[in-house]
Amino acid sequence: MNKIKALICIIVPITLAYVFNTKFGDTPPLLKFLNPYTGFWQNAEGNNIAANKKIELSGAIDKIDILFDDRMIPHVFAKNDHDLYYAQGYVTAMHRLWQMDFQTRFASGRLCEVVGKKAIEVDRYQRRMGMVYGAENSLKGMMENPKTSAMVLAYTEGINAYIASLSSASLPLEYKLLDFKPEKWTPINCAFLLKQMSGVLAMGSDEFYMTNILKKFGPEITKDLFPDYPFKESPIIPVGTKWDFKPLPIPQAPKEYIEMLTGNIQTKQKIEGIGSNNWAVNGDKTKSGAPILANDPHLDLSLPSIWYQIQLNAPGVNTYGVSLPGAPGVIIGFNQNIAWGVTNVAADVLDFYQIKFKDNKYQQYWFNNGWKNTTKRLEKIKVRGSADEIDTIYYTHQGPVVYLQKPSYGKAANIPVGNALRWIAHDKSNELMTFYHLNRGKNYADYRKALTFYTAPAQNFIFASADNDIAITPNGKYPLKWKNQGKFILDGTNPANDWQGWIPASQNPTVKNPPRNFVSSANQSSTDTTYPYYINWEFAPYERGQRINDRLSAMKNITVDSMSVLQSDSYSLTAENLLPYLLPLVTVNQLNANQKQAFNSVTSWNKYFDAESIGASIFDLWIKRLNDNIWKDEFTVADIPMRFPSRDRTVQLIQKEPNAKWFDNINTPQKETLKDLANEAFKFTYDSLERKFGPIGNTWNWGNVKNTNVPHLARIPGFGSKKLAIGGAKSTVNALSETNGPSWRMVIELGKNPKGHGVYPGGQSGNPGSPYYDNMIDTWAQGKLYDLLYLHSPEEKSDKIISHYKISKK
Amino acid sequence: MVFLIIIIASFLLQMVLPWWLVIVISFATCGILGKTAKISFWHPFFAILCLWIGMALLKSIPNQHILATRIAEMLKVQFWPLVLLITGLLGGLVAGISGFCGYHFRKAMINLKTKA
Repeated sequence: MNKIKALICIIVPITLAYVFNTKFGDTPPLLKFLNPYTGFWQNAEGNNIAANKKIELSGAIDKIDILFDDRMIPHVFAKNDHDLYYAQGYVTAMHRLWQMDFQTRFASGRLCEVVGKKAIEVDRYQRRMGMVYGAENSLKGMMENPKTSAMVLAYTEGINAYIASLSSASLPLEYKLLDFKPEKWTPINCAFLLKQMSGVLAMGSDEFYMTNILKKFGPEITKDLFPDYPFKESPIIPVGTKWDFKPLPIPQAPKEYIEMLTGNIQTKQKIEGIGSNNWAVNGDKTKSGAPILANDPHLDLSLPSIWYQIQLNAPGVNTYGVSLPGAPGVIIGFNQNIAWGVTNVAADVLDFYQIKFKDNKYQQYWFNNGWKNTTKRLEKIKVRGSADEIDTIYYTHQGPVVYLQKPSYGKAANIPVGNALRWIAHDKSNELMTFYHLNRGKNYADYRKALTFYTAPAQNFIFASADNDIAITPNGKYPLKWKNQGKFILDGTNPANDWQGWIPASQNPTVKNPPRNFVSSANQSSTDTTYPYYINWEFAPYERGQRINDRLSAMKNITVDSMSVLQSDSYSLTAENLLPYLLPLVTVNQLNANQKQAFNSVTSWNKYFDAESIGASIFDLWIKRLNDNIWKDEFTVADIPMRFPSRDRTVQLIQKEPNAKWFDNINTPQKETLKDLANEAFKFTYDSLERKFGPIGNTWNWGNVKNTNVPHLARIPGFGSKKLAIGGAKSTVNALSETNGPSWRMVIELGKNPKGHGVYPGGQSGNPGSPYYDNMIDTWAQGKLYDLLYLHSPEEKSDKIISHYKISKK
Repeated sequence: MVFLIIIIASFLLQMVLPWWLVIVISFATCGILGKTAKISFWHPFFAILCLWIGMALLKSIPNQHILATRIAEMLKVQFWPLVLLITGLLGGLVAGISGFCGYHFRKAMINLKTKA
């Protein structure tokens, strides 16, 4: 009896220790997480920042100074390139380690290792799309070049020096919550991060949908509803710009290139959101006489912030801007002489090839009138709490055959089964070299040289220099294609469908100092129809680009402030295009008193998506419903995934073809007209807003209806921002939707000394327990910018500096 | 006495050793010095409750409870002092049970010896 008692008295405390130190399901190890010595309380950062700190690190070659300004932005002063990127790695890890780690895990299909089985489809998707394969190729490209390889290695060393300094108490919060530990950083992680940018910006594909549309409606209607150039456009390279090169011959399109297939998923509307604005004006248009450049890349917003601000100073370089946590150098920024920025080019650099396999062993496929062997790639997915999974992926010469069976994963809805993927992100590349040169660039020639190193994701690189040059280049490595190659799924047996070379980098569209004295881009068509090569048949809708070009043409005596106002401009060209056609269609005498009030608020609306506007809320939902009313009946067919025609085509239909057959709802016996659809949509809008927000009033304000907020990267409740009642909307310059929008706003005025201004929704620190986690978010929400501190030496006196790290060799 | 030993030992040793050290300390202290079962539960309980709440506040006050507020939202308790209370109570409870077990372990061992 006493023996049992003694045994129980030992077992109970050991069990308690085990139970409260172990993660069960999604519940963190409770006391490991809660105890104040090593748990989350240790991540609560105070406001008192040590003014001076000496750190000895074995990896440093010489002395390094890191000055932190009052927003905790590091200004790194090193005596050589190695120490510069070493310190960048160190300080980025200090603020953002978990974010870097998590994003790399996501990109490389290794989430299951830390969150368990529930992420298996995500991991499979990333691997089957060839992310690991692409990163391995990219790494080769980076490592072959001595400059970028030194950069990546030093950056990696710096990150690892920081990781080595961590204790269980100082581990970033999310590690404690998800209960795992950081592993050593390796150079391929940098490649994964850059691949992930391609994943975000250049992984979209409509060819599966387009092929189904072609099959259902035939070539004529497809051509009519999905035209190769928009009805309204204001291209990036101004109309009439001459091409001063002799183009390469374009490959011949094969006679028959459509083979049919179907799947069993629902039609998805193309989601608009990923997009960005940039522009530069020369001194003729500015008050100071110096050029001004502005950029705001739109991404899915998250906390910790997507970008990390930093100043990098070493012999031969002094640059300031935003970096991607996990990649060395500055991606968007400025230096003493130049400023640059990027927006996405919707280039068609991703194609699907229908593969004819010999049998279900998938070892051979038909190509060029013969059987060719596939190669097999095994992806080992480690799963926390279960056995490892080995996923087999077959590669043809085009690329990975992404799925052999329909996956149960929403993101994969546009992937046709049994098709091989040819994607630019699989190719060997070295994008870092572009940023290496831009960071050190002095003039237009340096800018042009930097761009030649760039592969993907294709970007509209905008440029301005203190010499008063401005330029823009929709730049990337573009396959040499016949017109519309890849608009539909390609037949993988025919060699004529393969990519057959590249557009020479020097022949990418570009313009320098155009007569209109400004350059700009907002993801719209790169050129007018005279450009000799095919980049894509469809780009982002034209409205933002047109509005920017209209405003910049009209503006004179431009200042940083007026540029910043333009970044926050929420005027809707969609409303300008549609309201005059739709408002007269509403049968006002059939509306009740409340509906009339709603109708009046749209009628009197100034077409700005302001936070306090009620008209904006009504218009937004009205148009969405109308769009569904027009297209849903024809384009939603069970088993045939398709997409709707573009907004541009819909506007054209409403303005120019009011009697088109598409307005009839084919599911009803009677014949509907645009008028019927518009009235139904208006009443629907009223009812659904009333249901959700009560009777028409302040709760209907656009800022409230839109519900902008910045969530945490892993969607952990409590770690995101509060709801922000702010204006802006997709298709306006301030393209701010619920959780997608300007991830960094920057305005740079060049001149004798550059003056930088910028803000992002978040802060420098990735720690939710830091006052610097989200300290910039209100300024961002108000559409204001901070003055950026650009220093020339560590000795330069500034009252903005709150802390100074002195790193020396151990 | 038990209270003081546990609070001081836990305060110092946790700086280098993991949290479950409080289990070992409570068990050992009460196993050697625990006079009654009651003392062996309540002294470690209050020692760790006070220590942990105190240490947590030491970090949380300069932080103006920014983090505690976020954790409260994450745990769906909304009010940050509740997170503090949960921390203290759970830590105290584990220490108390361990102390109680330590005391009864000694009793059992003494009984075993006297029988032999």
